[in-house]
Amino acid sequence: MAMDPEEVEFLAEKKLVSIIPTFNNNVIHLISGDIGPFRASLPVNVPLWIAVNLKQQQKCKIQPPDWMDVDKLEELKEEEKVSRTFVKMPSEHYMIEAKLLLGCASDDIPRADEIRTVIKDIWDIRMSKIRSSVDVLVKGAGTYAAVDNLTLMEINSIRPLLPHALDQLFRMRKTKKYGGTQSQNSSTFLSMNVNSKNTPFKS
Amino acid sequence: MEDSINIEDFDNLDNEENEETEEVPLTAAEVIELMEEAWRNEKFAPDILPNKSEVVDCLLGQISYMEENLRNLKTADFQKSIHQLEVDRLRFLVSSYLRQRLQKIEAYTFIILRQEEQRLEQNEELYLTNSELEFARSYKESIEQHFDDILSFWPGLPSDEWRNDPVVPNINSFVFLKSKNEIEGVVIDDGTEEEEDLVDFKTGSQLIISYNSVANLVRSGEVQLI
Repeated sequence: MAMDPEEVEFLAEKKLVSIIPTFNNNVIHLISGDIGPFRASLPVNVPLWIAVNLKQQQKCKIQPPDWMDVDKLEELKEEEKVSRTFVKMPSEHYMIEAKLLLGCASDDIPRADEIRTVIKDIWDIRMSKIRSSVDVLVKGAGTYAAVDNLTLMEINSIRPLLPHALDQLFRMRKTKKYGGTQSQNSSTFLSMNVNSKNTPFKS
Repeated sequence: MEDSINIEDFDNLDNEENEETEEVPLTAAEVIELMEEAWRNEKFAPDILPNKSEVVDCLLGQISYMEENLRNLKTADFQKSIHQLEVDRLRFLVSSYLRQRLQKIEAYTFIILRQEEQRLEQNEELYLTNSELEFARSYKESIEQHFDDILSFWPGLPSDEWRNDPVVPNINSFVFLKSKNEIEGVVIDDGTEEEEDLVDFKTGSQLIISYNSVANLVRSGEVQLI
């Protein structure tokens, strides 16, 4: 089964963000928990989906999360460039948070355009690492691989391609077994897992 | 509106792993969390998982309660629109989960029913809810009826052959997971049965691996499919 990007977004929208409301309201008792009280110009944490909704109604200003800062992101980008593994992102859903917040509240976020660019750069660097790892993994016929520090959206972007490719390799190994023609290189299939390979898929 | 709910028989929800769930009332937020986990597991697991009807019923109860309250609220209220939005989100979650299961039941009717009969005979925990079972049986009947009707037009064809080769899920398919605990010595099924690789999961580590190797860990809730 597959997951739509919208469904990944749905999961990410639970994340709390700080807003500065422009209205007063008592605590709202949601099923998922209480939010508020809202006092005009006092910051309060609400789930992302509410923040976006309120912003669209011009009822609040968004306070960008700490990591959404050009200098910090530039540093992260350099780190991602030199690291052979995947760098841990400051947020499990950095891409979605950036997309939603920059989409509705670029007036509240300083240097929004630069942030957009550097986040896209980070994404691109990571995607290119993912592609080369997938290449190594499939060619090495790996039986499992660590994908630590990949965010959900990144994992989702190699689905269904990578799992399907590995499914096919699995079928080929199985067929080989029943066919009784154990070829001389079957031992390479066995011991290979990506942890021993030169790839960013590594803990 | 209340924050926490008491569900008397919630203790058999995670019976294998979480002894502490006994008698502990879950907050609605925790129920939502469990629903999300179940939704994601069901989405990525190739075969059908044990049902989570306690979670579904509990969440639906919360949703109806909220909708009841919303009917009494003044229209166009700002607070009401937030509540409505939340209710819609939770409804999506529950329906998507249930739809997922129905899709599997339709695709793998025969094998799912056969396994369910076996569980019934051996007094094991059943995977389907009563209504899912009812649906599966009537779906199976209509499929059989359909094949019988169609095949009667081809006198030469053996009318029963299609039954011998039911559609089965590929339980070896590769899945992504996040480990919730420290788990040692997971046996990797690599399809060759020769040398068995072992792998240890650290808490929070993420892997891509064949579902067959981790199916019992998914059912016991030790790993989360992502």
